[in-house]
Amino acid sequence: MWQFALKRTAGLVPVLLVAVLLTFIAIQFVPGDPVQIMLSDHSGNVEMEKRLRAAYGLDRPLYEQFWLYLKHIGRGDFGYSYRYTNHTVYEIIRPSLYTSPILAVAALLITLPPGIFLGVFAALRRNQWKDTGVILGLVTGISIPNFALAAFLMYLFGVKLRLLPVAGWGKPVNLVLPILVLAVAPVAYLARLTRTYMLEVLQNDYVRTARAKGLRHRLVIYRHALRNALVPLLTTVGLIFGGLLSGTFVVEKVFNIPGLGSLAIDSIFARDYPVVMTIVLLFTAFYSVINLVVDLLYAVIDPRIRLTSRGP
Amino acid sequence: MRSGKWLLVVLTAFLFLAGASLSMAEKVLRTNLPADPSQTDPITVSELYAGDVLDNVYEGFTDIDKDGRVTPTLAVSWESTDGGKTLKFNLRKGVKFHSGNPFTARDVKFTFEQLLIPDNKGGLAAPYLKSVTGAKDILDGKTKELSGVKIVDDLTVTVTFDTPSVQFPIFPFRFIDSALIRSRGLGILKDTSVGTGPFKFVHWKRGQEVRLEANKNYWGQAPQIDAVVYKIVPELDTALNMFEAKELDLVFIDRGASRRVLRGSEYKDKLLTAPAAQVQFFGMNQNLYPPFKDIRVREAMCSVIDREAMVQGIFDGAAFPLYGFVVPGFPGSNPNIAPLKTDLAKAKKLLADAGYPGGKGLPPISITGTSANKEELAYFADLLQKQLGMTVEIKTMERGNFIKAMNVGELPMIHWGWSADYADAATFLDDMWHSKSPYNRTKWANAEYDALIEKARMTFDAKERYRIYNQAEAILLKDMGQCPTVMRKMVAVVSPKVKGVILTPFRLQNFNTVKIDD
Repeated sequence: MWQFALKRTAGLVPVLLVAVLLTFIAIQFVPGDPVQIMLSDHSGNVEMEKRLRAAYGLDRPLYEQFWLYLKHIGRGDFGYSYRYTNHTVYEIIRPSLYTSPILAVAALLITLPPGIFLGVFAALRRNQWKDTGVILGLVTGISIPNFALAAFLMYLFGVKLRLLPVAGWGKPVNLVLPILVLAVAPVAYLARLTRTYMLEVLQNDYVRTARAKGLRHRLVIYRHALRNALVPLLTTVGLIFGGLLSGTFVVEKVFNIPGLGSLAIDSIFARDYPVVMTIVLLFTAFYSVINLVVDLLYAVIDPRIRLTSRGP
Repeated sequence: MRSGKWLLVVLTAFLFLAGASLSMAEKVLRTNLPADPSQTDPITVSELYAGDVLDNVYEGFTDIDKDGRVTPTLAVSWESTDGGKTLKFNLRKGVKFHSGNPFTARDVKFTFEQLLIPDNKGGLAAPYLKSVTGAKDILDGKTKELSGVKIVDDLTVTVTFDTPSVQFPIFPFRFIDSALIRSRGLGILKDTSVGTGPFKFVHWKRGQEVRLEANKNYWGQAPQIDAVVYKIVPELDTALNMFEAKELDLVFIDRGASRRVLRGSEYKDKLLTAPAAQVQFFGMNQNLYPPFKDIRVREAMCSVIDREAMVQGIFDGAAFPLYGFVVPGFPGSNPNIAPLKTDLAKAKKLLADAGYPGGKGLPPISITGTSANKEELAYFADLLQKQLGMTVEIKTMERGNFIKAMNVGELPMIHWGWSADYADAATFLDDMWHSKSPYNRTKWANAEYDALIEKARMTFDAKERYRIYNQAEAILLKDMGQCPTVMRKMVAVVSPKVKGVILTPFRLQNFNTVKIDD
């Protein structure tokens, strides 16, 4: 299993390289020139432009710029931000490195229990009014756009009731509303899938066998049925987590959280390419690592995968 | 016994701290910035939000008071010798940097040199030095010493120019603590407070806040609050929600959707407004669109614009109609400019007289801007099409490319603005419309105008200079190479318990006048 993990980790390197190359190419097609944006009203001033281009190495040919960039990131040097003068990319990204994972992990943790529970609950009451009710609620949850929900919750709890801060970051209370908003759609998604997989699993022979053995209902459901439904669910949870890590942009904007998502968008608008490249690399790494962890967890949950991965 | 003693010490310390925090509730002004400052150091600073913050931390020779007048700050007086080629500055005595080091002539020279050294990426203040003798040698990397600046004694410094610079004393410089930088290096600038201003820079947490603390030893009026926290809030609605939830005491709205504030009755008695030191203009490039060479065509364009309608329709009332090229009330503005009336009949007649009755014979033209100001572009396109029968296409470009295209004179028709860099009519007349200025965006050229502007550059007497500017502005308006349209209104909402916040055409004044009631 360790060998498997190592192999997969090594496989990350080409993935990251391709990501760097694609981003670098894509950036060349974005209209707008970072030097013109730095100069703003003074753009067109040939002297100032020449000096800035040289200072950031933007006067070199593209292939040279790319090669230099690769060499630098190989050494762990991500360069200087274009937007924030004299600040390194690392200095700019550092505060967000904790923000997005904290949000994503917290949102995932409060997603799992209600998501799975609601799914099982609905599956066991298939086609009864309770099932329909849950499904209806879930569809509503998926359908509400998160910016609308965020604005509503902010108004209710922040402005009207004054129970929670409107926006900001740094204190645990700041987490409550963003996490709630972030969790609504994943709970609904997870519950719907749990229901589907549970319905499938419940029809299997081994469930019938377990019941025939006279096992208690709860044991049949949670040890035999749910455990098997978890395997396909794991992929979903991995995807949800990846989405939470990189897709918190709207929530970050509305609640004014200095996360990676809003930094990425702002950097694209500011043509702050060194920051954009680094964030793309980070997201690529996040997704790859999540996939790796999901694959490894498969092996833990499903012994059959462990057996086959050993190979002949 | 021993542990008992420790317990006692800890308890006492705890009680002391608890008591201290109770008795000295910190007075903090909580306000907003719509974006992170791009710089936190006074050498590279080159944008407005960074300027808003650093103005409280750093000072130059002079400042502007709430009535727009130039007031001496770190220079108490200055005089020109040898016909403006040299300026002698007498510096303020007893001023101390945040480190405790005294402010002297050495700091002035050092700051100028650091602004010019190419590797330091000197920001907006660097171009102000280009006429100082020896500046070019530093820019070219030949030396690091500015030969045109001489330290006479601790509190006297002379600056020699290749070509006189009458505005030099009012340029917004930010002097830095040379002794501290010499011992610890320029690297400390971005997170260390090395100024003389009423507040000290404490930290910048990207996406969260900038924090300043009071400089109790300030040479002028010391702050009456303990700290200022600028929360970074990009969404105006979020900032206003925070204001309503009492998480912010002051929300500054320098642009964009001020509708909620101006139209909402709940803000009425909490509102501060001021015209922005910025002019917006409708520009016509005669080189690119030959019909504009005829003044009758230009006058027709300028007469058809309805400034009042623009203010209400496009800017939600957050603007004023503008009839001159210098913001009213600004040093060097002319209070007696006759408003150009909207006159459709006259416009149509002028166009017909020029040989284009009903717009017939006019080639199609495009009006260019950014997607952020497309409403203005749509207004002009619609107006010129419907009223004058022209064929107008709207083009939007990415902002950086747009400004460059404008500055190099590639756009036939534009609507854009210019914000004052310093408090003198020169920022609007010289920097914008002298034919050699890199920011003359219509490439309008007039020899008589250029001559007056050049004369003003050599005129040290402010009154006389302003008279020349009034003459020049009259030519600018009469020739209609471009016409002024509107100037924006800046808006702030402030909590009733906060007193002494001053909003001027140059944004918010330093916060040392601010008081917070208990």
